[in-house]
Amino acid sequence: MNILAKSELKSLDQAIRETIYRACLLLDDEKFMDWLALCAPDFNYRITTYSPEIRRNMTWYQQDVAGLRGMIEMLPKHNTDHGRLTRHVTVYTVEADGSQREAKAVSSFACYRTMLDGINSHIDSGETQLFLIGKYYDRFRIDEDGPRFVERNVFLDTRRLDKGSHYPI
Amino acid sequence: MNIEMGKAAYDIGEAIPYVDSRIYSDRNIFEEELEKIWKKVWLATVHESELPEPLDFRTLTLAREPIIIVRGSDNKVRAFLNVCPHRGNLILRQPSGSLTVAEPSGNANHMTCMFHAWQFDCFGGCVDIPRAKAGYQDRLRKEDVSLKKLPCEVAHGGFVWVSLDSNVEPLSEYIGAAFDIMKQELDTEPLTIFHYHKAIIPSNYKLWHDTNSEFYHDYMHYFNRATSMQQKGYFERQYTAFPNGHCTVGSMEVKYDAYQGAADRVLSFPGMARNGWKMVDLFPGATYNIRGSSLRVDTMTPLGPDRVMIEFRGLGLKRDSMEEQEQRVRDHNTIWGPFGRNLHEDLLGITGQGVGMQPGSTPRRILHGRRENNTIHDEIGMRHFYKEWSGRMGRSPSDPFPEVAVAAE
Repeated sequence: MNILAKSELKSLDQAIRETIYRACLLLDDEKFMDWLALCAPDFNYRITTYSPEIRRNMTWYQQDVAGLRGMIEMLPKHNTDHGRLTRHVTVYTVEADGSQREAKAVSSFACYRTMLDGINSHIDSGETQLFLIGKYYDRFRIDEDGPRFVERNVFLDTRRLDKGSHYPI
Repeated sequence: MNIEMGKAAYDIGEAIPYVDSRIYSDRNIFEEELEKIWKKVWLATVHESELPEPLDFRTLTLAREPIIIVRGSDNKVRAFLNVCPHRGNLILRQPSGSLTVAEPSGNANHMTCMFHAWQFDCFGGCVDIPRAKAGYQDRLRKEDVSLKKLPCEVAHGGFVWVSLDSNVEPLSEYIGAAFDIMKQELDTEPLTIFHYHKAIIPSNYKLWHDTNSEFYHDYMHYFNRATSMQQKGYFERQYTAFPNGHCTVGSMEVKYDAYQGAADRVLSFPGMARNGWKMVDLFPGATYNIRGSSLRVDTMTPLGPDRVMIEFRGLGLKRDSMEEQEQRVRDHNTIWGPFGRNLHEDLLGITGQGVGMQPGSTPRRILHGRRENNTIHDEIGMRHFYKEWSGRMGRSPSDPFPEVAVAAE
């Protein structure tokens, strides 16, 4: 049984936190392919929420790596608003399983949209609005290169998204 | 302008029909629409699967009137005004729930107004007034202060239809044959809801219905251009108009695999081709839209001349296995979820129209003039809507203020 030493656990905890923050910076900079490079080949990405209206859990978006890559490649062909999304994240917990070389993390996030052309750019550009709040439920696999995302569940508290978005959160 | 446009005519002869942009922005017209249209017709609301058990409820608002939908202990779905007859307070405040749960002010199995603890049963009857005898002596009878009951029917795929008009015509007369194109898909077996979200958009409600009533805007959607417009059968899709302002759009074979990352549909509905695509647009603000494996139903709540709430529901078959429902959810989300390829673009479209035709802006002519033998890029769907609108409003959409000299240009 390969139990990690305390010092190794501390280092792993730090590495996972840094990976989460690095992912946010890459998403904020719309460097989506670089973000995917932080993910394992079997990475699964979901955006979910619970609806008190219909009293059901809902999945609003789900893709594997190939699906995300395709979605990113197709972005230039789609109309969208060009406001920038900025994620503010706090990692609450990291739980490492030394024997499985896996870890889980729970983070809280707020995603802001700084408007450019979503409504009337002359008036609204430069305004920052709160777009979404929720939690990231992440799962990692740790190998010699460090932690890799194998799962991200973006659980949204915000359910009224109005225009919505074409971008990963 | 170097085009043929009738001065005040709408959809007559060879002239290019247009509407005056003030029908999308004028507050008086909006208020008149609530009174003459939204408070007079049948409106699709929630789906019956949102209240599966006796005493389950949903709340909503129609034309500013708060509404309760409740499944009775007899399993029948009813609609009531969600306003206490005592002092006009809201009775049920949560979006959904079960009356079997007791409230701090009232007993289980009742609807209780928290303000003074008046209680009502699932049939709308008043069953308890605290200290009634002491305060009202014999001057007030419980049977005189029931909740106002509204016309309510479950139909067309299990949706709960409600009208604010007690004298409304039967739902079957209002809808007529508009659902014939989708009857087998909707009514062969029970449906169930798997998706709900809502959007509030700074735009007029009719602009969303216009978007759902014309396909010329497919140029905005790369997904639709690749999978439909460039495919066989697209330009043969036919609009059919029905009495009371409803219309339908005929099917075609969508080639989903023409879009990178999308796949042809595996699941369907009874009578529906796997990659088929049908629509029913209902006056004044609902659309049923089936793309092979998922049914999307849009319902609108107009909030002002420049503000509308749109609720989006996704449905599949009640008998679906968990795996089948997950497949329908994936198919639905690809294009219609809040992160889907098409919906975001559609909502950006009417947001821009809301800026271009905001209240107080200079009246403009908005063209409704494409004629292509009622096929997919014909704007017959919009023109048919505005003929009904004109009849109910007593106004021409192209000259809504004949008494005022300013004309749209």
